Amino acid sequence: MAELYVKPGNKERGWNDPPQFSYGLQTQAGGPRRSLLTKRVAAPQDGSPRVPASETSPGPPPMGPPPPSSKAPRSPPVGSGPASGVEPTSFPVESEAVMEDVLRPLEQALEDCRGHTRQVCDDISRRLALLQEQWAGGKLSIPVKKRMALLVQELSSHRWDAADDIHRSLMVDHVTEVSQWMVGVKRLIAEKRSLFSEEAANEEKSAATAEKNHTIPGFQQAS
Amino acid sequence: MATYLEFIQQNEERDGVRFSWNVWPSSRLEATRMVVPLACLLTPLKERPDLPPVQYEPVLCSRPTCKAVLNPLCQVDYRAKLWACNFCFQRNQFPPAYGGISEVNQPAELMPQFSTIEYVIQEDDLQALKESLQMSLSLLPPDALVGLITFGRMVQVHELSCEGISKSYVFRGTKDLTAKQIQDMLGLTKPAMPMQQARPAQPQEHPFASSRFLQPVHKIDMNLTDLLGELQRDPWPVTQGKRPLRSTGVALSIAVGLLEGTFPNTGARIMLFTGGPPTQGPGMVVGDELKIPIRSWHDIEKDNARFMKKATKHYEMLANRTAANGHCIDIYACALDQTGLLEMKCCANLTGGYMVMGDSFNTSLFKQTFQRIFTKDFNGDFRMAFGATLDVKTSRELKIAGAIGPCVSLNVKGPCVSENELGVGGTSQWKICGLDPTSTLGIYFEVVNQHNTPIPQGGRGAIQFVTHYQHSSTQRRIRVTTIARNWADVQSQLRHIEAAFDQEAAAVLMARLGVFRAESEEGPDVLRWLDRQLIRLCQKFGQYNKEDPTSFRLSDSFSLYPQFMFHLRRSPFLQVFNNSPDESSYYRHHFARQDLTQSLIMIQPILYSYSFHGPPEPVLLDSSSILADRILLMDTFFQIVIYLGETIAQWRKAGYQDMPEYENFKHLLQAPLDDAQEILQARFPMPRYINTEHGGSQARFLLSKVNPSQTHNNLYAWGQETGAPILTDDVSLQVFMDHLKKLAVSSAC
Repeated sequence: MAELYVKPGNKERGWNDPPQFSYGLQTQAGGPRRSLLTKRVAAPQDGSPRVPASETSPGPPPMGPPPPSSKAPRSPPVGSGPASGVEPTSFPVESEAVMEDVLRPLEQALEDCRGHTRQVCDDISRRLALLQEQWAGGKLSIPVKKRMALLVQELSSHRWDAADDIHRSLMVDHVTEVSQWMVGVKRLIAEKRSLFSEEAANEEKSAATAEKNHTIPGFQQAS
Repeated sequence: MATYLEFIQQNEERDGVRFSWNVWPSSRLEATRMVVPLACLLTPLKERPDLPPVQYEPVLCSRPTCKAVLNPLCQVDYRAKLWACNFCFQRNQFPPAYGGISEVNQPAELMPQFSTIEYVIQEDDLQALKESLQMSLSLLPPDALVGLITFGRMVQVHELSCEGISKSYVFRGTKDLTAKQIQDMLGLTKPAMPMQQARPAQPQEHPFASSRFLQPVHKIDMNLTDLLGELQRDPWPVTQGKRPLRSTGVALSIAVGLLEGTFPNTGARIMLFTGGPPTQGPGMVVGDELKIPIRSWHDIEKDNARFMKKATKHYEMLANRTAANGHCIDIYACALDQTGLLEMKCCANLTGGYMVMGDSFNTSLFKQTFQRIFTKDFNGDFRMAFGATLDVKTSRELKIAGAIGPCVSLNVKGPCVSENELGVGGTSQWKICGLDPTSTLGIYFEVVNQHNTPIPQGGRGAIQFVTHYQHSSTQRRIRVTTIARNWADVQSQLRHIEAAFDQEAAAVLMARLGVFRAESEEGPDVLRWLDRQLIRLCQKFGQYNKEDPTSFRLSDSFSLYPQFMFHLRRSPFLQVFNNSPDESSYYRHHFARQDLTQSLIMIQPILYSYSFHGPPEPVLLDSSSILADRILLMDTFFQIVIYLGETIAQWRKAGYQDMPEYENFKHLLQAPLDDAQEILQARFPMPRYINTEHGGSQARFLLSKVNPSQTHNNLYAWGQETGAPILTDDVSLQVFMDHLKKLAVSSAC
C-alpha cells in the first residue's frame, strides 16, 4: 500500500513553498478533475460596490451544524490539510519489517539471475550490500523498511508491476534514503521479470512438444 | 562565593573552548610573568544537538585583510543597516537580505547566546537536483534513451558505457561550435545512409556513434545513478565578488547538435537544469562581477542591457534549429537571483518545452513540478506528445491570420492564408514539438467575404484542424476536428450574434494578442490599444442613449468582459515593472499555452468566500470581499492564497477549533484547505502556497490583486466602512467603468 500523506514544503529554501504530496496521492489524482472553483461574479452595472450584510461580532463563533459544502465527500487522506505537520502513515504500524525477510528473497532473486552478465550482477550485488549496511546501521526509516517488505512480497508473488510501483513510490517519496541502492532493486525486478517470462515461454514450448510425445504424468513445473 | 567554575563550564558547553586564563593580563610584560601562557583548548566540532545550523552563508567584513564574521560583539546601526567589525573597526553595509533586521528582530548571529553558530554552505541545492534526476530514471520508460551533459566553466558530454571507467568529452565553455564541428568532435558523423523519416527511429537502427552518449534507461540506469551521485560543484574556485562561470550557451548548443546528429525528427526533450545565469561564452547574460547586477526592466528600457541582444539571438538560433529537428527544450531554473529566462525563453516557447522557475532545487515546488512531467493518463501512457504539426483548412469565406502559442511556422502558403497577420502568420501550418493535453493555441481568422456578397440561406463556414503527432507510446496519430458555424448578417441579426458571444474565449484571445504585442511594442502603447478595442466593443454592443453614461448597459454575454480587461491591464503580463524580466518571461510563457479555464484564472484570479452562512461562493475580486468573518481562497494560477478575516483569525488564535462544541468552526477552517489541496494536487507547474490572515505580511498577495474599490482616497465617499481599504493609487474598477461608459456613449470617439 503506497502511503498517502502531505508534508509541508521547504519554507527555508523557497518562500511560500507549497506542500509536498506523497507518490500515492499524486498518482491517485489522475482521476476525473472537478474544476470546482471556476465561477466569477459580474461587477454591478450601476457601479456601487456590493455590501454583503454581515456583522463582525467580537464574541465566539456561532455554534451549530457545519457550513454546507458544495461538493460530495472526496478521496480519503490527510490529517489536517496542507498546513499541518507530517503524518507519515495513515494506518497502524505493525511490527517492524525484519531485515532478513527482505534481504534473503532479494539475494535469492539475484542468484536466480546469475545467468546474466557478470557486471550487472556484481552491480546489483554491490547495491544489495549497501542496502543491508544501511538497514543494519539503522539509517532507514520505518516507512522505507515497511515498503521494502511489501516490495519483496510482490516480487516473490511475481507481481512485477506492483513491485515496480512500490520501487517508484520509494524513489519519489524517500529519494535521499534509497537512491544509492534502489536502482539495483529496480534492475533485479526487471531481470526476474524477463527471466520468468523466458522460462514460461520455454515451458510452453516444451509442454507443447511433450504433449505431442505423451509426457510422463506428474511433470513438475519449476517455480 | 561565586566561582568561575560555572562560568567555565557554561562556556565549554556552548563554545567548546577552555582557556588557561579567563581574565587576561593586560600587558605583555605581566603576561610573561604569569608563567602559564595565555592559551586555549578548542573543540571545533563539539556536539551541539541544540544548535541547528542556519541555512545561509555568513556575513563577512569587507576589509580584504580582515574578513571576520559578523558576531554578537559587533556594534550595529539598525537604522542605517550598518555594522562595525569589532576586529578592524571597518564599517560594513548589511547585505540586502538583512533589510528587515531591527533591535527586536535580530539575526541569530548577533544574539549573545549564539557565540557559537554554524552556517550551512549551500551544497544541498546540488544534492537535491542530483536526487531529482536519479528519481527521474525510475519514472522514465525503460527503453527511453538518455544522455547527460554537465557544465560550468567547461562543458562535459558524458559517455555512458556499461563497464569500467566513466569518460567524458570536454569542451571549452567560451567557444561556440557549429553543429558539424560538434558532431565531428563527438565522432557522430556517419556514412551517407538514408534516414528513415516516417517511423520513429529505433535504437537498434543506429548502433554506432550515438550509443556512446545516448543509452536506454534499462541498460545504464545503475551507471548513470552512480555518475549523478558523484557530480560535484565546479572545482574551479570562485573568488569573492565574482559569480561562478557558467557556460550555458555552449552546453545547450552541444546538446542541440548531439540530438540533431543522432535523432532528428524523433520525439526528444533537452532538459536544462540551471542554478544561475550564464556568465561565460556565447549566450552569456551577465558578467562574472557580482557588483554588476543582471539587467532589470529599467535597464532594458534605458538600453543598458549589454548582453541581451546577442544572447537572445544565440538562443533563438538554437531554438529554431531544435524546432526544425522536432525536439523540445525544457528550462528548469532554480536560483534566488535571475537566471536569464528572458534571453532563453524562446527555447521553451518555440519548441513547446516547459519553463519552471523556483528558488532552489531543494523545494517542493521544483521537486513536485518535475515529478508531474512524468504523470501518466488513465491508460498508463505519459501525457506528453511530440513532433506535432497542425494544419488548418478553412472554407473559402475565411482565411487564416495566424496563431499564438508554443509553435513555429512551417511557412506553408496557400489559398487559406491571409495577408494580414495576427501572431505567427503567413502560414496555414505550424509545428509544435512538445505538447500535452492542456497545450492550447490561439488561432486567428479573417473573414474575406465581400460586403454585398449574399450568404446562401442556411450557409455555414467551416474549419478543419488536422494534428499529426507522435504519441508517447511512439505511435503516430492524427487527430482531426472539423467544425462549422452559421453565418449571419450583422445588420439584421446583431442580437443573435451578441447572444452567441463567448466572452471568456474572447478575453483570452484578446489577451494573447496583447501579450504578443507587448513583446515588441512599448507597454503604454499596448495598454492604449487594449483600451481602444474595449471602447469600440462597448460602443458596438452596449445599449445606451448617446451622451448618457448612466444609461449604458451590457447584455449578459458581455457583462464580464470589461472586468477581464480591467484585470488584464493590471496583470503581470502587461505590467512588468513590479517583476524582474525573468519573472515576466515566466508568467508570459505559461499564459501563452494554457487552456481557457487556466488562462482566465491568470487574467482574473478566482476568489471564493467561506463562511457560516452557506456553501463557499465566488465573490467579486474586490476589496469589499475582504471581511472579518470570512475566509477567502484566491487562485491566481501561480499562487494559492488562503486568507483568514480578522475575526476568524482571532477565533483560531483562541483555539475554538479544538473545542468539541465548536466543531463547525473546525470544519470551516478545513474547507478552504481541502479545496486548495485539490488544486495543488493537480496543477502544473506547482503553484506557491500562501496561508495568511488579516494583518499578516503575506496578505499583500491578496491585497495587490483585488480591485481597490476602497482606497485611502475614497474610503469615506461610500458612507460606511465595509471591507478592507487598500492603500494604493490604482484606479478602481468603478472608476475604470465610469470612464469606459463615458467614452463609449460619446459621439466624439
